[in-house]
Parts: sequence; C-alpha cells; structure tokens
Amino acid sequence: MEYGFTTAAYVVSVVLFILSLGGLSGQESAKRAVWYGITGMALAIAATLIGPGSGLWFLSMIMIAGGGYIGYQLATKVQMTQMPELVAAMHSLVGLAAVFVGFIAHVELGRVLAMDDAAKKGLEGFAAILAKKDGVEIAILRVELFLGIFIGAITFTGSIIAYGKLAGRVDSAATKLPGGHMLNAGAATLSLITLIWYFNTGGFLPLFLMTLAALFIGYHLIMGIGGADMPVVVSMLNSYSGWAAAAIGFSLGNDLMIVVGALVGSSGAILSYIMCKAMNRSFVSVILGGFGGPAGEQMAVEGEQIAIEAEGVAMALNEADNVVIIPGYGMAVAQAQSGVAELVRKLRAQGKNVRFAIHPVAGRLPGHMNVLLAEAKVPYDIVMEMDEINEDFPETDVAIVIGSNDIVNPAAQDDPNSPIAGMPVLECWKAKQVFVSKRGQGTGYSGIENPLFFRENTRMFYGDAKASLDKLLPMID
Amino acid sequence: MWRKANMMDGGIARVKIGTPKEMFEGERRVAMTPESAAQLQKLGYDCLIETGAGAEAGFSDADYAAAGVEIAKTAAALWKAVDVVAKVRAPNEAEVKRLRDGQTLISFINPAANDKLLKSAAKKGSTVVAMDMVPRISRAQKMDALSSMANIAGYRAIIEAGNNFGRFFTGQITAAGKVPPAKVLVVGAGVAGLAAVGTSTSLGAITYAFDVRPEVAEQIESMGAEFVFLDFEEEQADGAATGGYAAVSSPEFREAQLAKFRELAPEIDIVITTALIPNRDAPELWTEDMVGAMKPGSVIVDLAAEKGGNCKLTVMDKKIVTENGVTIIGYTDFPSRMAAQASTLYSTNIRHMMTDLTPEKDGVIDHNMEDDVIRGATVTHAKAITFPPPPPKIAAIAAAPKKEAVPEPTVQEKRAAEVAAFKSQTRNQVTLLAVGGAALLAVGLVAPASFMQHFIVFVLAVFIGFQVIWGVAHSLHTPLMAVTNAISSIIILGALMQIGSGSSLVILLAALGVFMTGINIFGGFLVTRRMLAMFQKS
Repeated sequence: MEYGFTTAAYVVSVVLFILSLGGLSGQESAKRAVWYGITGMALAIAATLIGPGSGLWFLSMIMIAGGGYIGYQLATKVQMTQMPELVAAMHSLVGLAAVFVGFIAHVELGRVLAMDDAAKKGLEGFAAILAKKDGVEIAILRVELFLGIFIGAITFTGSIIAYGKLAGRVDSAATKLPGGHMLNAGAATLSLITLIWYFNTGGFLPLFLMTLAALFIGYHLIMGIGGADMPVVVSMLNSYSGWAAAAIGFSLGNDLMIVVGALVGSSGAILSYIMCKAMNRSFVSVILGGFGGPAGEQMAVEGEQIAIEAEGVAMALNEADNVVIIPGYGMAVAQAQSGVAELVRKLRAQGKNVRFAIHPVAGRLPGHMNVLLAEAKVPYDIVMEMDEINEDFPETDVAIVIGSNDIVNPAAQDDPNSPIAGMPVLECWKAKQVFVSKRGQGTGYSGIENPLFFRENTRMFYGDAKASLDKLLPMID
Repeated sequence: MWRKANMMDGGIARVKIGTPKEMFEGERRVAMTPESAAQLQKLGYDCLIETGAGAEAGFSDADYAAAGVEIAKTAAALWKAVDVVAKVRAPNEAEVKRLRDGQTLISFINPAANDKLLKSAAKKGSTVVAMDMVPRISRAQKMDALSSMANIAGYRAIIEAGNNFGRFFTGQITAAGKVPPAKVLVVGAGVAGLAAVGTSTSLGAITYAFDVRPEVAEQIESMGAEFVFLDFEEEQADGAATGGYAAVSSPEFREAQLAKFRELAPEIDIVITTALIPNRDAPELWTEDMVGAMKPGSVIVDLAAEKGGNCKLTVMDKKIVTENGVTIIGYTDFPSRMAAQASTLYSTNIRHMMTDLTPEKDGVIDHNMEDDVIRGATVTHAKAITFPPPPPKIAAIAAAPKKEAVPEPTVQEKRAAEVAAFKSQTRNQVTLLAVGGAALLAVGLVAPASFMQHFIVFVLAVFIGFQVIWGVAHSLHTPLMAVTNAISSIIILGALMQIGSGSSLVILLAALGVFMTGINIFGGFLVTRRMLAMFQKS
C-alpha cells in the first residue's frame, strides 16, 4: 500500500526539521526555528495517523494526548536549573520507546513469517510491508531491529543514570564495578554473539539476552563517567537516541524516521565533539569513562585561601570600572541567577562595564549558563564566550567567579601533570582582583585542587552563592 | 666625601631643608608645616624655617621649634645655610640672587613664562624642581600640588560666591516665606570645577556643570550635579591625549556652547568659571550679554582671572559690581585665602617629592633624571635648562585600552599558510570521500535495492546534519539539545504504524511507546520555547 500524500507530508516535515536545526544559529531566528520543529512534528504525526498508522487511531490519539499532558506539565513546572536532568530523563523515554518498537517488529515478523501466502494477502499496515520482504531483506531487517533495540537499551539505562547523577540521586563520582572496562567489553561481545545467533535463528532468546547486556552496558558505561563530563554524556545520549530512531526507521522502512534519526544522531555527535574539544579531552576517553592517569606528580599548591566578607567585595565592586562575572554550576545549584542579574543591573546603572564570561563547558549542559542568565533577563549581548573575553582579563578590575572551579583553574596551563592540562580555561587570574564565591574549601567536580584560590589577588567569598549575593546586593550603590 | 665622612661622625652636618617667608605680597601660605618637618626629619634631613614664615598660615615659631625645626633669623641666613629650599611662589629677583651652586629649589615656577629665572638658575648650577610641572600620572598624584591647590580654589570659589550672594543655597519653606534654591553653574570640570560642584551641592544648591570633555559627564554626575549637554555632534578630542587637560574647541562647538549658556544665564544665580587651556589665555565663555541677562544680586567667580578671565568684565584680583548688580569676583589667591589648609596640603606634596628624591631614606638626595616624575618636574639641573621635559614614558591617563598587536604575518607567510591549510583540507576531504564512497559501494554490492534506497537517504541526512549543526551558536546548545530531543521522538511514527497490527501484546507495547514519545514531544518543544523566549537584547 502506498500513500502519496504521506510521502509528500514527510518531505515537507523533513525540510521543516532541517530548517529548525539550522535556525538555531542565532537567538532571533531560533524563536522561529522552534515553530518549524513543532509544525514538522505535527505534520509527520498527522500524515502517519491518516496514512500507514491509521489502525486503532483513536487509541493513538488518547495516548498522545495523555503523554502530551504530562509533557506539558513537566515543561512548564520544571525549574530552569533542572534543565539538564529533564533532558536526560526524556532521552531515556526515547530509548525505551525504541526498545518497544524493536520488540514489536520482532513479534510481528515472527507472526507474518508463520503465515501462508493467502493469509499474508489479507494483512494491513506494518505487517503488510513485512509480508512483502524476501529472504535477504528479512535478514537485514533483523540486523536493523537488533541494532535499534541495542542502542535504545543503552540510551535508556544510560539516560537514567545521567539523570540520577545530574539530579544528585546517584553519586556523581566515577564508579566502576570490579572488572571495569572488561565487563563492558564482555557485555559487548555477548551482544555480538547474540547478533549472529539471532541473525541465523530469529529466536526471541538471543534478542532478550542482548537487551539485558545492552541495559547493563548503558548503566555501567555512564556510572564510570564523572559528573564533570556529564554535558558530553547528555549530548552523546542525545546522539544515541537519534541513531536508535534511524535504525528502527530502517527496519520499518520509514524514510522520515531514518532522516530525522540521522539528523539527531549526527548533531549530537558533533555537539559532543565540540564539547570535548573545548575541554581538550579525547572523545574516546570521555566515552569510556574517567580521566587518563596523570603522567607524573601534580604540582603542590602553596599559599593559603584568604576569605573576604561581603563588605570587602562591595567596596571593590563600587570602585571597579570593568567587571567580569564567571558563572558555573554552583550558580545553578544555588539558584542565584536572578541575584546575579540584579547585581549586574545595579552595576550597569552606575555606568560600569559588566560582562559575563561563559566557558563552553560551564554547567552541566552546553549553553547551560546562557539559558539560566537568559531566564534572569540578563541581556545576551553582554554574555561573552571564552575566546571573546580571555584577552580582556588584564584590563579587568574585578573578576567574580560564582560557583565554577575547573574552568578557571590555572593548573590547566601551568602544570603539565594536571589531569586537566591543556584544557582551555578562563584566565580570570589576570584580572586585578578575583573574588570566588564558593560554598566551602572543597574541590570541584573533577576533584582537582585549584591554585587560583591560593593566588595573591584572589579572595574567597565563602557561602551559598544566593545567600552571599543577597548579603552583597544592598551594599552596592 | 667630606659630607659623607661627617655624617658617619654622627650626622652633624646633615643635608638641610629650609623654607623662607614668602616675599610675594598677600601670599599667606608656607611650604613647610611642623607636621611635614617631622616627616622630613624621618627621611634624614634637618629642617630650617625663617622666623615668622608660618605665622599667616597659623603656625608659630614655637610650633616649629617643638617639631625640631631650627629657626633662622633672616632670609639671607636661611638661604645660606640650607641645601634645599622649599617655597610656594616662584622666587623673585632678590631670591634668585641668593641661589647658589648645588642648591636645590622646590616651588611653583611656571617655567614657560619664567625664562629669565631658568637661565640664571642654570648658570649658577642650582637644581630647580617645579611643583607645577609634576606629570599627571597616578604615581605622582601625591605630589600634584596643582590639584591640591585647585581643590581649595574650587571650594573657596563657592564660599566666596556665597559670601557675596544674598540668599540661601538651599530652597526652604519657612513660616516666614518660601526661599527658592540657588542655581549654580560650574563651567569647566577639572579638579577645581569638581570641587566647586561638590561644595555647591552639599550646600544644597541646584548645580549644573559643563565641560568640553564629554567623558567627565560621569564624574560630574557622581558629584551630584547635572551635566549640561550640548546638542552638538562632533568628534571630541579624547582628554586622555592631552594629559587630562581640555584642548581648544572648534568655532562651531564654541558657538553651540555659548548659545547654551545664553539660554541658561537668566535663571542662574551663581556662575563659577574654571576653564583654562594650558599655555593659552583663558577662553571667553561668559560674555557681557550673558552678564547683562543675569538677575541683580547674582555672583560670578572667575577662577581663570589670572589668565585674563573666562568673562571679559573680570578684573584680576578685584571684586566688581556691574551696572545691573552682578558681582564679579576675580581673585587669584583663593588657596592663599585658606592658608592653613593650603599649607598643609602643599607641604605634604613637597614632602612626597622629597621622599621620591630620597629613595634610600638616608638624607642623601639622589636626583634620578631617569625617573619620569623627577625628570618632568626638574627644570634646571647640572647647569642646564631641562625644560620642557620629554613626554613621560607612561601616558598620563590610560587611553582607550589597546589590543595587543599581533605580529602581522607577511604576505608570503599568509599565502603559504593558506595553501597549506587548503592542501590539508583537500587531503582530508578526499580521503573521507574515498573511504565513504568505497564503504557505500561495498554495502551496495551485497545489500538489496530496497535497502540501498533507504541507505542513501540515511547517508544524505547524516551529511546534512553535520553541515547544519556546525553553524549553531554556542549559547544555543542547550535549546539545540532540547529540540533534537523532541525531534528524536519521531520514533513515535514506528509505534503508530504498529499499533493497529496484531496481538494485544503489540498493542500494549505500541501504546506505551506512543505515550512516552508523546511526553517527549510536548515536553521537549515547550521547554525549548520557554528557553528561547528568555533570550533578549539589552
């Protein structure tokens, strides 16, 4: 059965999806881009419901409506600081859906193959497509749905762990079961064996075993990656969910799913690559978990951390002309973005030049800080990227570090044995004065001591970022 | 050698700093106070003062003696005894005659107009340090006597104006009637102007201020006055280029400025003019017709009187009242009118100069002509006139921050780099294409046509994805992720297609799949929209 209308609608929605992704190149066009995406998705679903997916359409509508309601509630209730968790949680849903769809395809395939020719003629919908396939095509189909389930299962457990780590429900440190990478390799080998098994027999057991192995891989892989690398992990899982969709698209013979899955898969992969580059980390070592071991003794940090009270910070800010603020995950955790925005408004009202320096991997998602600052209504033209602002630090009077650590660590440049050696960092220590708002004397997510805190021009402004800002704000005039 | 030997004997003949009584008529300031003398002694110097030198500034000989200062009976004796003479006013002819070889004189000099003095001092071999030539760099602010004096002049100008003004500065509503607040206009917002603004606002007057350098608007507003903006488009010379002083403005600008003043004149009660341009006559800013337009009882204080005045009616060193009852004050001795304050500040400036001249704090002057500040202030040294000084090594005021100059690669280097980049790019692309093409062909050899159709679509989509995503702005990576997350729910199509075919297990799984992706579609797009709606320009 061919549906000319459906194909036409698919073409239109593919174009809309591409425009939607491309439109995200600028803040203004991005607002339009979302609507392209929404229209594309609506068109694709409508065309499928009318065309090849018309069976039990009423149930489908109810399910979409129910899911939509929950999605709406989630999206409107979620705090902007919880964005990373939400995105991770939603990836797990896509992964699980891919597993389900893959299993259905398997069940249907078994059912259709068992029929005789006469019965096959009477089939409708998806089963009818299956019925037309010859031997080689069915073999390929098996590989495709196998891959779909495999990637989907990894995405599912991986996303759940990523969600847990971001939400603080799972210990964010990199932990591995005894056996480490060997366990992953074993599970992968098992999957390969089951693939060959399934390819030849088409039985349910190898598929089921593989699913368990993949679920384990997803769990163990992400458990082994430290919290600091979560931005990369989330975007990588994003990529996986795309590949899973593409694989399922192959097995269902649906071009739209293939195209969109490939778009999502490649965009996620590139995003992960961009982020790894920003951290000067090898993509492979991030994916496989954990930092590479340091080649030698790390430099000992000398000096002491000197604390300062709100009065001192206020005095320095009142006298400064050039202020740069470096936000990090600590600002998100403390929900301090509106306090920061208020501080910026006050300072700017005095004619001071206040800017934000955003490191590419600040926060737990790429662009995380931009989103939070935008929520607090900080104008985006004073929000600078690392490369734009790094050379301005020597002319900066006061640099304020709010809840970031590794991205302002001078050891990345000075200490070749530091685990983050070579990672590009914000050179805030070149400013005349640096204030670090920090909860306590602990180290950052990566567990590396930060020599910045011991520098002569650095003062530690201890306390929860939000409480500190509340104390500071009335003193700025 | 002789001096050094003696010092080792117990400092009997230490270097002496002395201050004579000012000979200029009406000058009440003194260049050394008991307090500054105590500090100078800490540097290893002995201090002398002519009897009665500090009397008019409120410092008696007894005060000096108590601070360990030796009192000289006559000026002649003092000049003879000391190695360093610290004064306020430039020396007159009689004093110049007293200068001798090796002696250092520190005072205001006005070297540009005192050629004769420089020549005779150089001939005698004495070193002259002009306090009015201290360069205006941050390090030298502590010896910037011009600023100290200008600060006093600005304050005093308001006080003198108030003295001659018949009303309150603050507006008051009393049982005996309503008093309107005084309106003060300060022209020229240098140190004196800003001091006047500060004094005037703290007395409660409504204060306006004007300056040809638009960058001082901020300073004026910080002192509580309103900056008078001109409706005039012109590229203003950056004050930083002229060492923080105003430059001559264009005729068009001047016209716009005068028009603005003319408009303001009838409502202004007190005008303080402080506009001076280095080495020129004071510009005329407050014309006769503006004076005519002012209300009777108004006051003009012309701090530029010494250079001819910003108002042509000003008479130097005199207070006059015009026909329409406007008082014009042309005094030039405002600092001297506050002799105690002025002496304290000036003597501190001198003391800082001595500190810089005594880097070792051992009572030995090291006249380091390599030092920007000392070099700038020294007008004669080692029998030569050293005025005007070369421009200081450090710009007076930080000019607009300069970007570090990146060494410009030569044309050949650029070309070579381009060629190399192009070659490696080509090599990369060709390799990728060859590998990709070969892989495609290999797949095509074994796979059936129906698969290849989809496969082509897949490869093209991956390609488009790569091309599109590189252009996404960094700040939009989170929205991008939310959008791709929502879009990846396209897997809903698979569930939709299967839901209607087959067993109840299939229906259940498919329905769950539709439900979950439904959450994702709505959640993903809505969150993206929420995020994007927040981005705004300032």
